[in-house]
Amino acid sequence: MTTNTPPVDVQVASPASPREDYLNCSKGIMSWLGTLDHKRIGIMYLIGVGLAFLSGGAFALLVRLHLWEPEGMLFSNQTYNQIFTLHGAFMVFLFVIPAIPGSLGNMVLPLMVGAKDVALPRLNLLSFYLWLTGAVLAALAIILGGFDTGWTFYAPYSLYTNQAVVTIGLAIFVLGFSSIFTGLNFIVTVHKLRAPGMTWFRLPLFVWALYATSLLQVLATPVLGITVLLVAFERLYHIGIFDPRLGGDPVLFEHFFWFYSHPAVYIMVLPAFGIISELVTVHSRKPLFGYKLIAFSSLAIAIISFLVWGHHMFTSGQSTYAMFAFSFLTFFVAIPTAIKEFSWVATVWRGSVALNSPMLYTLAFLIIFAIGGLTGVILGALNVDLHLHDTYFVVAHFHYVMMGSIALAFFAGLHHWWPKMFGKMYNETLAKIAAVTIFVGFNATFLPQFIMGSRGMPRRYATYVPEYAPYHQASTIGAMILGSGVALMVVYLVASLFTGKKAKENQWGGVTLDWKCPTPPPHLNFDDEPKVIHEVYDYSTLDYESLQRDAT
Amino acid sequence: MSHDDHHAVTIPAPGPEFVPHEVAHHFSTPVQEFQAGKLGFWLFLATEILLFGGLFAAYFYYHEMYPETFVLGGKQLDWKLGALNTSVLLLSSWTMAMGVRSAQTSQKKKTLTYLGLTVLGAVIFMCIKYIEYSAKNEHGLIEFGHLFDPYNEGTGQLAWFTDHDGVMASVPHGHMFFAIYLTMTGIHGLHVVIGAGLIIWIMVGTAKGRFHAGYYMPVDLVGLYWHLVDLIWIFLFPLLYLVP
Amino acid sequence: MLAEPRPNPVATVITHLIQDPQGASKQEPPPWDGMPAPEIDEFGQLPVLSSTFDHVDGLFYFTYAVCIFFFVLITGVLLYSAVAHRRKTWDQKPLSNFTHNTPLEVIWTIVPLIIVMVMFAWGFKGALDMTTVPQAAKQNTYKASAKQWAWTFTYPDGTQSYSEVWFEVDKPVQVVIESQDVLHAFFLPSMRVKRDVVPGRFGTVWFTPTRTGDFHLFCAEYCGKSHSRMYAKVHVVDSETFAKQPWNIVPEADAPIEDRVAYGKQLWKGAGCYACHSIEGIENTGPSWKAGPAGSTEMGLFAKNEAGEIVGTERVVFEDGEEKTVTVDEDYIKESIAYPAKKIVWRGRYKNGGMPAAQLSDDKLSCLIDFMKSLAEN
Repeated sequence: MTTNTPPVDVQVASPASPREDYLNCSKGIMSWLGTLDHKRIGIMYLIGVGLAFLSGGAFALLVRLHLWEPEGMLFSNQTYNQIFTLHGAFMVFLFVIPAIPGSLGNMVLPLMVGAKDVALPRLNLLSFYLWLTGAVLAALAIILGGFDTGWTFYAPYSLYTNQAVVTIGLAIFVLGFSSIFTGLNFIVTVHKLRAPGMTWFRLPLFVWALYATSLLQVLATPVLGITVLLVAFERLYHIGIFDPRLGGDPVLFEHFFWFYSHPAVYIMVLPAFGIISELVTVHSRKPLFGYKLIAFSSLAIAIISFLVWGHHMFTSGQSTYAMFAFSFLTFFVAIPTAIKEFSWVATVWRGSVALNSPMLYTLAFLIIFAIGGLTGVILGALNVDLHLHDTYFVVAHFHYVMMGSIALAFFAGLHHWWPKMFGKMYNETLAKIAAVTIFVGFNATFLPQFIMGSRGMPRRYATYVPEYAPYHQASTIGAMILGSGVALMVVYLVASLFTGKKAKENQWGGVTLDWKCPTPPPHLNFDDEPKVIHEVYDYSTLDYESLQRDAT
Repeated sequence: MSHDDHHAVTIPAPGPEFVPHEVAHHFSTPVQEFQAGKLGFWLFLATEILLFGGLFAAYFYYHEMYPETFVLGGKQLDWKLGALNTSVLLLSSWTMAMGVRSAQTSQKKKTLTYLGLTVLGAVIFMCIKYIEYSAKNEHGLIEFGHLFDPYNEGTGQLAWFTDHDGVMASVPHGHMFFAIYLTMTGIHGLHVVIGAGLIIWIMVGTAKGRFHAGYYMPVDLVGLYWHLVDLIWIFLFPLLYLVP
Repeated sequence: MLAEPRPNPVATVITHLIQDPQGASKQEPPPWDGMPAPEIDEFGQLPVLSSTFDHVDGLFYFTYAVCIFFFVLITGVLLYSAVAHRRKTWDQKPLSNFTHNTPLEVIWTIVPLIIVMVMFAWGFKGALDMTTVPQAAKQNTYKASAKQWAWTFTYPDGTQSYSEVWFEVDKPVQVVIESQDVLHAFFLPSMRVKRDVVPGRFGTVWFTPTRTGDFHLFCAEYCGKSHSRMYAKVHVVDSETFAKQPWNIVPEADAPIEDRVAYGKQLWKGAGCYACHSIEGIENTGPSWKAGPAGSTEMGLFAKNEAGEIVGTERVVFEDGEEKTVTVDEDYIKESIAYPAKKIVWRGRYKNGGMPAAQLSDDKLSCLIDFMKSLAEN
């Protein structure tokens, strides 16, 4: 409104007055269910994916408990098969893919680019309701008898099994569109709604990461859509394209499936990389090392990710040429990833390293991701993969990346932006305890799995040869520790909403636009359109006087 | 343009038969709204192309595996009807473009006329499709009544592919061509119906005067959708019908 | 692919939360019962290599070492910094603000690139070795046929064995793998051999076993209910032992009845019958061979009459479009195994039929029937 003020990039919040923010600006359930505010949509996503994560986690604990005994402690083989499938399907489709873009991305991206909302708010709400529909359909699939195909639902078993495959397929199709629309929205937002002065290379790296993710969401997810449709059609009217009885080829299914699902793992991990980029800089109070390299490496990873899907199929009888190409490119994608990891560590080096709970999760990520990424390199080698494919080595590798890295980055981001989102702080001591418990529990769960996998323990086994028992049991104990750490985290986070201390305006001393708006932000984020005049991560602009003393 | 207390931007109506357009809150200018909508929609079209891309991939793969089946299967399709459908869609793309142009120049009646003709094109397309599908049904190449019947493993007989004229008896897995044909044209047909629905929705909006020179984005975007539906058919037609 | 009736959802939720007593696959001792655990190599990671594919181990340990190196480096620098450079006062500024270091960036791009290219080349060469079948192996071709949930092996001379296979040490062997239903995978951890078994295609693996002993063969591609039980015992023996064809030793007609029954029971497991036919009187995908408890609908195959003689039970079957009652006897059993669709047990879920045929020689069949008779009760 005031057009005479000189351009500033710091939004001064009006002091003292009881501020209207996005949480209290309108009341009633309908103001939430019909909201167009990206922040409220982010909260609804957070609740949804949080519940999905806890459900998927419950299935995981059941899996690990069952595997305490070589003959299986809890379930029949058939039921076990359903439970590990549910664990995978819930986690991948209802949590890992949508969580960070849907919750933290929605909350933070418009703030970071200096916009009032995402470009297409109604589409954003639709994305959420599509997610919810997918979740309801997944629950319906359980009620209709469950499904036991593994989350990868390979043909022809997924065509023959007498389970609710079409229902869960429909759920995945709907969830796919939720993902596509979120990605579409973010791309348009980043292109069209950046504040004046916010050039591409002044964008925070979380935005770059979400942008690269969104490209993948838009381009790769439709292939999952058609794959799932084709499986449904196969079951409904027997097209025959994946059914060997009708002349079809099961390996074609694998190609279709992995063409999406490999980029999908980057849809999962790139946002996590973005969070880590943000957190290492803020909590070391130091600009990011190699900003442009990290930004470009996200794009490079996105592009190369389309070319490596065959590395999930090395044992399927591929031609020599295919093996060559896929293995070669897989090693290639390791390089931009390595550059990121080194750059993050270099950012921390000789910074002012705050050892608060977000940073503890970040440090845990950096250590765990090193293992996860490096074991991926082991699997990229063709002859080694022929031995390790479909063993617990692979299970350990992807849990190191998906749980130990992505989920941990999600927790880190959650703790980092919690004060911004709710204006309340959680109990820092409990948070530190939970972080350490999760780190210890996680490693205790999955390190033994590398060993037994390399010794030949196959995946998706309801019962196993007794010599693997010590590893399974160690892993189960680890899972219990991990579970208790997560439970603790949920408890203190939820409690903070009711009894938490009021958060500071700029809790951590960040300098990106998300820390320049009031805490919690008002409905339209910024009262005046921010104008960006500084480079991103320029800590010389940090106003130490207005920063109160840190919690740590 | 006027700014009110909430920074809303309004584009005035160019005439009494139109209504003004209020730019959404979070946009600063109407141009931003237009560009955002356009970019978003092109991205959506990209996803549709990839969705169909999967189907084309399946087609090419099985064409490679069973070339005689695909050649003989293609011969069972009536290329004349297919060509007729192609012309109908091309024509309707032209009427659609004219409709967008009319909206752009605030000519309400013309817009409605052209959009109506486009919907007519869609209806004709679906009618011709119906004729084609009936022919397949009659010859036992796709018996719609038995489409969802279970597959008899003992006899290896697919319930919907009886092929009682025996035209595909000399090639392996004759049903494969028709299964892929049905899936591709079926999903495309679904998009034609969706497109027609969208155009009707735009016609309603046009009748209410919502679209004019200052704001015709929805007409433009639905037009893009229709062109994509047409484009996909342009690829489907030669692949399925003209292959032999 | 037996079409089981859809489980009632409510019953599913309740009964599957407790140990499902109908899980026939876990009533018996596991298929690997009695097999020794493979020896572990000196690094404690892999089973001792028992084939010529030593490049797998070489590259695995090389990559492992590289990973340890980078892990220690990354974690060391990180933890050191987290402690040495930690923020002690709230307004502590960072020690430096560097955002670039070109020599460092070049090194940490080029060095990993070189290392991974080495790994790639080494791995590719190894894979070429593993996928190119040498002439010597082609002359010693086995067939491994996978079906839910058992392996059937055919030897070069046409003989067969179930769930167990013998190879000759130091002799290259080619195994042609095929599936009769869904995806499976042929996995010999000690030999570093794995290949997916794709229905509709033939696959090939080859290897040269270098040590005698007993090894595990697992199915390594999820294939349904008893995926984890789809196991085979691998015996690598010297040429003398191999020449005696240990897999082909069927007890004679005049052998002790315990041996015949034991062999018959092995067939129940090895030919895959166990997956559907219980020997504990429990209803499963197929009728139980042993009578169930009082009040059960399972009559079993044979029962003891008042005189204590073993006689066949009666059952209603569907044949040629009508129901009829038959008495179980040797002919009925032999016919049902070779032509399962001829007479379908006409009760409850068994009406779906779907039993796969099995080819068993007469001497094996007679041992199997002896085993069935041994299950007769009361």
